[in-house]
Amino acid sequence: MKLSKESILGLIALGTFLLLALIAPGFLSSNNITSMMFQLPEFGLIALAMMVVIVTGGIDLSITYIAALSGVGAALMLTNGYGILPAIIVAIFFALACGAFNGFVISKIGVSPILVTLGTMVLFEGIILAITKGNSISGFSDGYSLIGNGYYLGLVPLSIVIFVLFAIITAILLSKTSWGRSVYMYGSNETATLFSGVKNSRVLMKVYLYASLLAAISAIIMTSRYNSVKVDLGSSYLLQSVAAAVLGGTNIHGGYGKVIGTVYAVMIFQFIRNGLNLLGFHSSLVDVVIGAILILVLAMNFFSDKFKKVAETRKAEKAA
Amino acid sequence: MKELLKQKEISILAIILLIGAVLSFVSPVFLTVGNFLDIIEGNVVLGILAIGMTLIIITSDIDVSVAAVTTAVAVSIGYLFTYLPDSWISVLLLFLIAPVIGLVMGLVNGLLVSIIEIPAIVVTLGTLNIIAGIVLYITNGNYINSTSFPTSFMEFANYELLGIPILIYLLAIVAIGTWYILKHTLIGRSVLAIGGNTQSSVRVGIDYKKVKLFVFAYMGVLAGIAAIAQTAYTKAVDPNGMLGLELTVIAAVVLGGANIHGGRGSVHGTLLGVLLLAIMQNGMILARIDTYWQNVVTGAIIVIAVSYDHISYKRSQDKLAKIEVEA
Repeated sequence: MKLSKESILGLIALGTFLLLALIAPGFLSSNNITSMMFQLPEFGLIALAMMVVIVTGGIDLSITYIAALSGVGAALMLTNGYGILPAIIVAIFFALACGAFNGFVISKIGVSPILVTLGTMVLFEGIILAITKGNSISGFSDGYSLIGNGYYLGLVPLSIVIFVLFAIITAILLSKTSWGRSVYMYGSNETATLFSGVKNSRVLMKVYLYASLLAAISAIIMTSRYNSVKVDLGSSYLLQSVAAAVLGGTNIHGGYGKVIGTVYAVMIFQFIRNGLNLLGFHSSLVDVVIGAILILVLAMNFFSDKFKKVAETRKAEKAA
Repeated sequence: MKELLKQKEISILAIILLIGAVLSFVSPVFLTVGNFLDIIEGNVVLGILAIGMTLIIITSDIDVSVAAVTTAVAVSIGYLFTYLPDSWISVLLLFLIAPVIGLVMGLVNGLLVSIIEIPAIVVTLGTLNIIAGIVLYITNGNYINSTSFPTSFMEFANYELLGIPILIYLLAIVAIGTWYILKHTLIGRSVLAIGGNTQSSVRVGIDYKKVKLFVFAYMGVLAGIAAIAQTAYTKAVDPNGMLGLELTVIAAVVLGGANIHGGRGSVHGTLLGVLLLAIMQNGMILARIDTYWQNVVTGAIIVIAVSYDHISYKRSQDKLAKIEVEA
């Protein structure tokens, strides 16, 4: 029996869940499970956005500032007396504008993504600072706070429903549409993709637009949950989202990556963060554990690959 | 002369001179020796780290753990001060111990990248998390201020030779040393070769793993030295003081003309990149630009610089192709 990378990760996620359920007091309580469901979507959406970008072999260092800027957009609308729907539209518009800028410089001019987004990260942060003067904007309507704090049908947190919805949409877009296939193709071989008649620049542009759309959704959930927005909204998720995508099996050089893998990785992070918290670990030690897991899993991948190779050559020798 | 003008470093220098000319009109303080010494001394740490990062970026890798490693060494120095006797020997000892602590952390990165073959960005992301987490756990985020520092170290930190702060000499030594390594030693040439074309360089017999290990170990050593400089400059150890510095370091290296895909980069280019960032920062303060707008300007300049660089690179490549066709 051969398990895919993702199924093994799923088993690891299940294992972590069971282990923490055994050793962490109150891990299984309905209160705790619900609070985990409230915390997961905002990070999950950013991680999905990062995954889509990494599949093309790029990286988006500006993603959390795109989210923060789009949150600022929503906050400005709300505090100036506009309704929820216009606020959401403005949030998405702000994010798409940022994404289009990144996409333009990366796909049309051809500068490498890490450099562009390094620059736009500082740029977007500056724009947010110029708008907010470093202060936080807060005090939104009750209706808006339902997005991040409300329940769907009185049972499941609304935000996790939104997350699942977008995870499914992302999975379908990546695996069933021609755009999605081109994304994988571009990630594994740019030149071959171009020569097989794919408009590379258009594919890339859509990737950065889609990533910023996901960032906007995450921003809406975050602003609604915290009832305020500041320049560092979600900025701690930046490197973590890269870690989640990579742990989820996404190839950092591009060409491979699945939504379900990233979702499992996000779940593992969430379980560990929450479980260690319950066990009374210092919050900074959670980072240590996550860093160690990231390196360990990749080292294990390396050794299992090597082991497989050794086994294969032995088989070949025997056959000869 | 034409050759000289084509060099990337010259175009950065031109930008710096342009900004400098504008600033000297805007503020009479800008073109003073005192202001320049302040600018350089304030960016010694950035400079040292950027020089180390240059080698890594030349081999087409990246290290996002530099700020965490530097902080970890600085915190270790802070704790060491309570054990070290108050004499010049302690300062010398510090210059032995700090690079070694950095070296160990650099070696861990290097081993994981070269032997286990995990992509460098992932390895350093992991070690960033681990090191920063441990530092925060141990220090609890509190910082150690200069009251616990031995007076000999304070004397060292404030020492000026010929009116120039000692830290600037430190940066100069690191820069010249690294330049020499890159230009005149076997390992330095191998670094450039691997970055230029990995396959060919392995075929001519360059030990790929050894070179990768070297660049990360060297980065560690420089992070150790940068930690001393940081402690001497700020006269305190702040566990959160260098948060996010790794991205500024990368920006400086790239502005300095190193190619993120490897093979291209130089110490003097990187120093110019650091100078560009530093002058922009200093100039915006002198020009009384609203602090909140400073990041907008910095970000815009980075995007414009990397785009401009790429466009001119593409043009030169196009020209190359044409010549081949005609011949």
